Amino acid sequence: MNIEVSRQNLYLLILSVFLLIFVLIFSFLVLIPQGKQYREKRVQIKKEEAELKVQKNYNEDTTQILKTLRSDNKNIIAAFANTFDSKRFKKLHDGYFSELVILKEPIEDNKDGFSVYSVKAVSKINSPKTFYNFLDAINKTEWIISINFPINFKREGEVISSSFTMKVYSNLIDTNSTK
Amino acid sequence: MTYSYIKPRTKSLITSELKLLFIFFFITIIMLLMTYLFLTYKNYAFKQDHIYIEKSKNDFSDNTNKMNSDIKFIEKQVAISKKIFTQNTVLKDSITNMFDLVPERITLSEAKLLKNGLILYGITPNKDVYNFMLQAPLHSIFHHTYSSFYPAENGWLYFVSKNYIDEDEISEEE
Repeated sequence: MNIEVSRQNLYLLILSVFLLIFVLIFSFLVLIPQGKQYREKRVQIKKEEAELKVQKNYNEDTTQILKTLRSDNKNIIAAFANTFDSKRFKKLHDGYFSELVILKEPIEDNKDGFSVYSVKAVSKINSPKTFYNFLDAINKTEWIISINFPINFKREGEVISSSFTMKVYSNLIDTNSTK
Repeated sequence: MTYSYIKPRTKSLITSELKLLFIFFFITIIMLLMTYLFLTYKNYAFKQDHIYIEKSKNDFSDNTNKMNSDIKFIEKQVAISKKIFTQNTVLKDSITNMFDLVPERITLSEAKLLKNGLILYGITPNKDVYNFMLQAPLHSIFHHTYSSFYPAENGWLYFVSKNYIDEDEISEEE
């Protein structure tokens, strides 16, 4: 059987085959790997976006918690940030005592990340009730102060002489302060 | 001399079949290239997104860690301040109770409140008043109570009352 193919058709066939091979090679070697990469990256990005959203929500929740905590305890935070000022303390609490002497001692130690000042107070009060009022007021003052033992009361005529030690807590200077 | 009645058509290198073939492959290749360009662009965009997400995640993580440490610090401040406020209130109650404990017939001249005890100096009309009205309640509060007396000029008795709690009990309370 003799198949006659014209030269022109032969050229056409060869060209078609070449172009087809080019299309196939381009598709399999370039386009399909690129498409595969695209699909993988798309899945990965969606996953990362979901993780980011979770992290963002957690961040927003934490911000809200911190904000609430700060607003609920702003007096305590400010009290820890304040440095003890004996003049100011005397001015604020002078009404409870007929005489008040404050002796500030150097920083006692660093306790749980806070610096603790020891302050000795020698005072004269008219009645024990005045001292109770002072103890009530100490919890509302500008500093975090604990009254410590020993506490001495001594009658001196019409007044009671009292001496006690106070410990003033404040933030360490180099700590991450929450001012 | 002519052999045909029709005019010979001009022969072109690009035949209609070839044109059709070219158009077909041209469109195919253009579509493939456009797809390739689209995928390349999207892969590049994903890469940029990945960098941005990683950076955002790190920023959020750093920020959250900082806020968590701030929260812990504030909670620590609140816990310490509450403990101190409670201690001050308890101290106030202790002093109130101490003064309430002393009957009217006994006069205190000095009181020392210690971490583990109470020392009272005062004057009493006699030992019985002291023993029944002050010694007894003190004995119920403290583990060890020591009293000493010496006479006053007016016939009454000066007393020194030393009262202590065991150290173990204090450390348990703390």
